Amino acid sequence: MQEWANQLCENRQFGSKMTDSKYFTTTKKGEIFELKAELNSDKKEKKKEAVKKVIASMTVGKDVSALFPDVVNCMQTDNLELKKLVYLYLMNYAKSQPDMAIMAVNTFVKDCEDPNPLIRALAVRTMGCIRVDKITEYLCEPLRKCLKDEDPYVRKTAAVCVAKLHDINAQLVEDQGFLDTLKDLISDSNPMVVANAVAALSEIAESHPNSNLMDLNPQTINKLLTALNECTEWGQIFILDCLANYTPRDDRESQSICERVTPRLSHANSAVVLSAVKVLMKFMEMLPKDLDYYGTLLKKLAPPLVTLLSAEPELQYVALRNINLIVQRRPEILKHEMKVFFVKYNDPIYVKLEKLDIMIRLASQANIAQVLAELKEYATEVDVDFVRKAVRAIGRCAIKVEQSAERCVSTLLDLIQTKVNYVVQEAIVVIKDIFRKYPNKYESVIATLCENLDSLDEPEARAAMIWIVGEYAERIDNADELLESFLEGFHDESTQVQLQLLTAIVKLFLKKPTETQELVQQVLSLATQDSDNPDLRDRGYIYWRLLSTDPVAAKEPPSAFVEGSRGVQHKRLPGSTESESPDTASAAAVSDAPPAVIPSQGDLLGDLLNLDLTPPTTTGPPPPASSGMQMGAMDLLGGGLDSLLGGDLGGSPAIGAGFGAPPAAMPASFSAPVSGGLDDLFDLGGGVGMPMGAYSAPKTVWLPALKAKGLEISGTFARRSGVIQMEMTLTNKAMSVMTDFAIQFNRNSFGLAPAGPLQVLTPLSPNQSIEVTLPLNTVGPVMKMEPLNNLQVAVKNNIDVFYFSCQYPISMLFVEDGKMERQVFLATWKDIPNDSEAQFQIKDCHLNAASNKLQGSNIFTIAKRTVDGQDMLYQSMKLTNGIWVLTEMRVQAGNPVYTVKKCVYIYIANMVDRI
Amino acid sequence: MISQVFILSSKGDHLIYKDFRGGAGNDIVSIFYEKVTALTGDQPPVVMNHKDIYFVHIRQGGLYWVATTTAGSSPFTITEFLNRLAALVKDYCGSLSEKSVQMNFALIYELLDEIVDYGYIQTTSSDVLKNFIQTEAVTSRPFSLFDLSNVGLFGAETQQSKVAPSSAATRPIQSSREQGGKSEIFVDVIERMTVVIGSNGLLMKADVEGEIRVKCYMPSCSEMRIGLNEEFSIGKSQLRGYGAAVRVDECSFHQAVRLDEFDSHRILRLCPSQGEQTVMQYQLSDDLPSALPFRLFPTIERDNGGRLLMYMKLRCDLPPKSLSQELSSPDQSAELKPQSRAVVWKIARFAGGTQLSALFKLEVPSLSSASMLEVGPVGLSFELPKITATGLQIRFLRLSPIQPGPSQRWVRYVTHSDSYTIRI
Repeated sequence: MQEWANQLCENRQFGSKMTDSKYFTTTKKGEIFELKAELNSDKKEKKKEAVKKVIASMTVGKDVSALFPDVVNCMQTDNLELKKLVYLYLMNYAKSQPDMAIMAVNTFVKDCEDPNPLIRALAVRTMGCIRVDKITEYLCEPLRKCLKDEDPYVRKTAAVCVAKLHDINAQLVEDQGFLDTLKDLISDSNPMVVANAVAALSEIAESHPNSNLMDLNPQTINKLLTALNECTEWGQIFILDCLANYTPRDDRESQSICERVTPRLSHANSAVVLSAVKVLMKFMEMLPKDLDYYGTLLKKLAPPLVTLLSAEPELQYVALRNINLIVQRRPEILKHEMKVFFVKYNDPIYVKLEKLDIMIRLASQANIAQVLAELKEYATEVDVDFVRKAVRAIGRCAIKVEQSAERCVSTLLDLIQTKVNYVVQEAIVVIKDIFRKYPNKYESVIATLCENLDSLDEPEARAAMIWIVGEYAERIDNADELLESFLEGFHDESTQVQLQLLTAIVKLFLKKPTETQELVQQVLSLATQDSDNPDLRDRGYIYWRLLSTDPVAAKEPPSAFVEGSRGVQHKRLPGSTESESPDTASAAAVSDAPPAVIPSQGDLLGDLLNLDLTPPTTTGPPPPASSGMQMGAMDLLGGGLDSLLGGDLGGSPAIGAGFGAPPAAMPASFSAPVSGGLDDLFDLGGGVGMPMGAYSAPKTVWLPALKAKGLEISGTFARRSGVIQMEMTLTNKAMSVMTDFAIQFNRNSFGLAPAGPLQVLTPLSPNQSIEVTLPLNTVGPVMKMEPLNNLQVAVKNNIDVFYFSCQYPISMLFVEDGKMERQVFLATWKDIPNDSEAQFQIKDCHLNAASNKLQGSNIFTIAKRTVDGQDMLYQSMKLTNGIWVLTEMRVQAGNPVYTVKKCVYIYIANMVDRI
Repeated sequence: MISQVFILSSKGDHLIYKDFRGGAGNDIVSIFYEKVTALTGDQPPVVMNHKDIYFVHIRQGGLYWVATTTAGSSPFTITEFLNRLAALVKDYCGSLSEKSVQMNFALIYELLDEIVDYGYIQTTSSDVLKNFIQTEAVTSRPFSLFDLSNVGLFGAETQQSKVAPSSAATRPIQSSREQGGKSEIFVDVIERMTVVIGSNGLLMKADVEGEIRVKCYMPSCSEMRIGLNEEFSIGKSQLRGYGAAVRVDECSFHQAVRLDEFDSHRILRLCPSQGEQTVMQYQLSDDLPSALPFRLFPTIERDNGGRLLMYMKLRCDLPPKSLSQELSSPDQSAELKPQSRAVVWKIARFAGGTQLSALFKLEVPSLSSASMLEVGPVGLSFELPKITATGLQIRFLRLSPIQPGPSQRWVRYVTHSDSYTIRI
């Protein structure tokens, strides 16, 4: 047998490569065929070997069901070993071959009458495992006999068989009255039979919750307790588990059960011990606490629990989990056993962590010194995770045992002195928690913490440190510097840190308003304008609004974070703060809800504009510097032009077009489009109102969501400090996240092309919007468009590619060095042919103001004269492709409403050179 | 209740698969193997679940021993059961390995049939089982060098003349009948020490867990009497005899042990079953009767070149074996393990009453005075033959009735380090 087993191994390793096997041939058919022959052999030994081979194949997952009849033929034998092997096979394949399984029934029935109890038991056990309905009816009679068998081994097997049968056909079991027989077996003389009967009944009772099958009364309990002392260890577990379901009538009964179960605590099988502990823990509830016995019992429970910890690591782990539960329920049991839970250096990490948890649960004023000394040692171990947990544990001790807090803090400080990076970071997080729990108590350590500021690279530690600085800003001289240093890389920080930094700086501002105004503006702008994170923006707007409303009132919410659970901040919805100060219009403008919250597009735009264009209010702190400047510029230009141009932009010829003058001549290569281009440009006059200069038009919807599978793009163009920018708002109105954005332009009149990729780094979640600014250059391929300022754009995302076209204001193409020399201007003006002229009218212009404002848009006034009561302005501008535009603007004096503007002459750069 | 039991090799091959309750999918074994191999080091490996099936497993002999169960069962019982199953298979097959399990699959199926019925654990006692088990164990012969590395607790000490051959205790219990195996009985007293010595040199914790194990190859042994030290006492208050008492805090016995002579004469009476069993377990904490076996005197400093100097002086305080001391220093080696950030100093043999010292120079990048604090504890692992930390001795081992034919009795003492830590 050994030989073929060896070959079995080799066969499995080499598979079909094996050629020299008399047992396993290469084709499956041949193998089965050979086995068949051997199974039908006359020699008993050969038969046995053959059945073994069949079972070996079965184990490794080969299908040998084809041999069913041949194997069943071997069943009728007096060789117990062979019989067992055949039964093993039957159990596995009977279900797949129910018809053939009937063939075996006769033998089973016969075997149940066998004089040998081993065979009787074997037959009844195997029959129960053949889960074929047809067989069960034949099973009933033999089972009934076996339940009353004289041999306990057969009875205990039959008891289990009832449970098996019940699982297959519950009705049959009830009809046949097996349940009553099973109940009788609880009083059997053999403890093993009792144990199996209890196990079977418990299981059957589970499927009939109201059946009263296991009616535990004092008599049955008494029987069970008697059997408990005699049966095997596993039987004891069944009985103990069953006892745990019993509810004693009074404390005297529960005491007497406890007394009889207590000896199980010293059993060598730890599973028995634990089951006994379970019973005792339950019944102890009934005992009055002042009873002497209660105290005795408590004392008796500790040593066996401690013993459980000397087992194998797996058992130890399960034991620790159980002990953890016990400790939560009754810490007094193990309160003196702290030392057992100290970790050993060779414990697996999961055992260590579980021990750590129990240590903290057991920590009390009495043993805290010991625990802390131990935890401090753990902090020098090699395993980083464990070290971190140990440091955390020190913090938990401080919070659990108030008297120990000081000691914990000093232990943590010692650990910080080690300068081990992860220890320091973990310690700072823990100290923050201690600060929160015991405010204004240990701030003397802050100086030490601040020394380690630079070494913090984990978000949690950074956030903790920022919290500490913000919270104790009044005690830290250079709190503003510290926070400012974090602000530098604001956008690279994790959200946790950003939020904390925002709160901390607001706190700082409230404590030291004079020095930190700039800082708070900076952080508010970073949070509200440059961030894609709605949480951060929300919080930024709330603070901003609160601060602008009433700095004194604003002191409250940020201070709420002192006690603060983090949840508070998220719960503080914009609406709620709004209602606190409904009367402040300016504040409402500043802190209106962020775009992400607003569902409707119109509102969104309106709000965005409000936010962008409202000049800084005087009541609150001015908006942050960067946007402040931008806003200032907009105020000057936008506001100025608004008032300058009045309200009827729509009806009157657009001034943008007025400025967008036609080229008089083009470089040679441009010759073809030039003539058409001129007309086109003049035609523009009738087109849409074109805004001008650094003033950027309100965003218009370029790509509606309907056309682009949920992606909505609105945008505008602007020229900011010499760079042409396309400013877009991408809104995801689809249900799924959008990623992988990219943008491309079609060839266009002025060679506009993106100067860089579209910066949409984070995926755009549903209902989220993002502001993107795309710098443009004019070095792309040129093609005349219709109209001239038309731009065709393709935007791609993970869903599809979408196309739209938009029109850009010519004014954004005016370059900064468009101021022409007076002489040159004069000479050029004269050279311009009349047919290159165009005229437009603008209403409501103030001349001087206009001149100043226009210069902001790179439209330079060269000269000004007054003729016949008319003010005349001569202006020049230069396009990105080198085309000059010259204009004359006439303003009727005394009638500011009516303004005439005569335009236009164009020149080409190289012509200017020539002159 | 156990639904299935299976044994897998470390590579995931099915060695044994037994379904007790039916209804489990065929892929359950592979699901388990996927899960167990996907575990990371810090996840507790004992219990895993897939839908409503729970896997409980242990690893022994390089094999996975797995039981599946439903939510309501106690994982503790099942883990304990798996340990017993592994022990039984070891008893019956001689040793635990992929090969031995593979060769004895028929025997193991037969065992499983008797041990568990419909998921209820029936018995794990080899005494009971011997009545039912028919299959003979198959052992791998010839004896190979490979097996030497598997020598378990009952292996031999090579220096001694009166020793059992190393393979003596790794044979199947049932082979004694037919293969003419000798009647032998092995008794081991095994103790494991857990010691923590603080950085100030003070003893912070010293625990001993001990057990007496018996491995019996006697088919007809009716009773065995094990005599312990007469002055053996249990608990803190109890003292017996004069002089240094052998004392333990807690003591538990195998259920087959009869203790009627224990109180008066410290004699354990039992009828050992075939195979291996733990007769008695005991614990002692914090109050060792003898000095600790090892003392370490570490000095750690920085030299001028920024290197870390660790000077270790290790002294063995056990009584010297004999007057003739070995003059040559024992074989030693040292190795830096970058992965575990540890230096491993190996000493093959260490005679009592001697001391060894070593100087380790470590190049540590950016060594600062703070990094000195990072130098972690020293862990010692060792095995002390012929010594018990508690002083527990076996006075005598008597078998009754007197065995016919030659029979041998082996008694061995050994103390292992469980976790012997010296903090720096």
